[in-house]
Amino acid sequence: MDTRAYIESGILDAYILGALTKEERTQVEANVAMYPELRTELLEIENAMQAFTATLAKELPVGFDNKIWAALQYASPNAGGTQTTPKVIPFTPDYRKPVRWQYAAVGALLVGSLALNAILWNKSNNEKEKQESLNYKIDHLQSDQKQLAAVLDEYQKNKLMMADTGMQTIVMHTVQPGHPMAATVYWSKNKGEAYVSVDGLPAPPQGMQYQLWVMQDGKPVDMGVISNTMPSTPAMQKVAMSVTSGQAFAISLEKEGGSPTPTMQNIYVMGKV
Amino acid sequence: MPNTSVIYNEEELVLLLKQQSREAFNYLYRQYGPVLYGVISKVVYDEQTAQDVLQDVFVKIWNNIEQYDARKGRLYTWMINIARNASIDKLRSKGEIMKGKIHQGEDIVNNLQQGMRTEQATDTIGLQKMVAGLKPEYEVIITLAYFKGYTLDEISKTLEIPLGTVKTRMRSAIKQLREIFNN
Repeated sequence: MDTRAYIESGILDAYILGALTKEERTQVEANVAMYPELRTELLEIENAMQAFTATLAKELPVGFDNKIWAALQYASPNAGGTQTTPKVIPFTPDYRKPVRWQYAAVGALLVGSLALNAILWNKSNNEKEKQESLNYKIDHLQSDQKQLAAVLDEYQKNKLMMADTGMQTIVMHTVQPGHPMAATVYWSKNKGEAYVSVDGLPAPPQGMQYQLWVMQDGKPVDMGVISNTMPSTPAMQKVAMSVTSGQAFAISLEKEGGSPTPTMQNIYVMGKV
Repeated sequence: MPNTSVIYNEEELVLLLKQQSREAFNYLYRQYGPVLYGVISKVVYDEQTAQDVLQDVFVKIWNNIEQYDARKGRLYTWMINIARNASIDKLRSKGEIMKGKIHQGEDIVNNLQQGMRTEQATDTIGLQKMVAGLKPEYEVIITLAYFKGYTLDEISKTLEIPLGTVKTRMRSAIKQLREIFNN
């Protein structure tokens, strides 16, 4: 088969545009299954129509989603909304006196029906359990995915930050004898941007918060408080204020919300630039 | 917790839809509702009718998701085809034509026979809103096939051009769409 000529005839385009009869469609599908290059071409055509239909998107009426949702609940095969009422077959009473085998037959049917019910009930329970466990798995996968997306986002930010060649790393060491603590400031002096990581600091006590300071000509200048979710995590927080000069960085423990000047005995870590 | 930023690929969406949860519906509605509504509106012009069809389309997608076979094509195409078929069926149903709100392909034939220019003819079926730059004779072909459900034979008779030309024009039309969207 000359696939080039086949493609150029426009038959695949006609297929995607829905202009073929059932027989013609079947023929195209058979050819596409046989020749990979036809499949590639078909996907290209599909892409074009997908891009085209996307431009037709039209705003939906307000509240229409609730209307459709209600319709779905009603029309769902499980909801019973579309179930047809069973036909009523008129019962013609039989006045003949029932004989013994008829009683036996009724009994046998009853036993059979009960057994079948038990089997079906059991089966339906199993299906329900399967469904529930699947739902549970999907929920978990979704929350895992969201968490991964957040982690990835964090890495992305870190990567961008690390790629900055003007970035300096300042490790702040403990100034409290007997308490090994550390924190890090990443500082891009020319940009005035800084990031702080307090992986090595304990969680602050209730009502307290860490505050970052930069020493400029011997005077501590407030660089803002550090979120209480940060200690003991490797996450980095961007320093809210711009830092263009300084000789050292320090972190002190202050009351929640921070102080105008550091409480000297509460300075935990400090590092020279 | 609503999260509008999560995007599922088609495989994940199929799994989600089979779950039949409100969350699955919300995602489907948000991501595909506007396009489905747009496609339906290209077929049936009456807004109320288009909304009725859209509801039917959602019900069909919802109840037939088990029948969707990924080996046979994309979910997107599957859903768009459900929307097209449902609205074309609606268009063909006597009631809709009687309403007189639907512009039929016959309009174009009449116009062409009356010697109107293609540009004017295309206006009568509301083509001016289509992709910018697409040649009018291509828009007519796409509209008749894709939005009005005409077969090759019907298009050939309607536009009075040979069957082979209809196909090659379809090819050229899609080629132009490809160029437009690749740029």
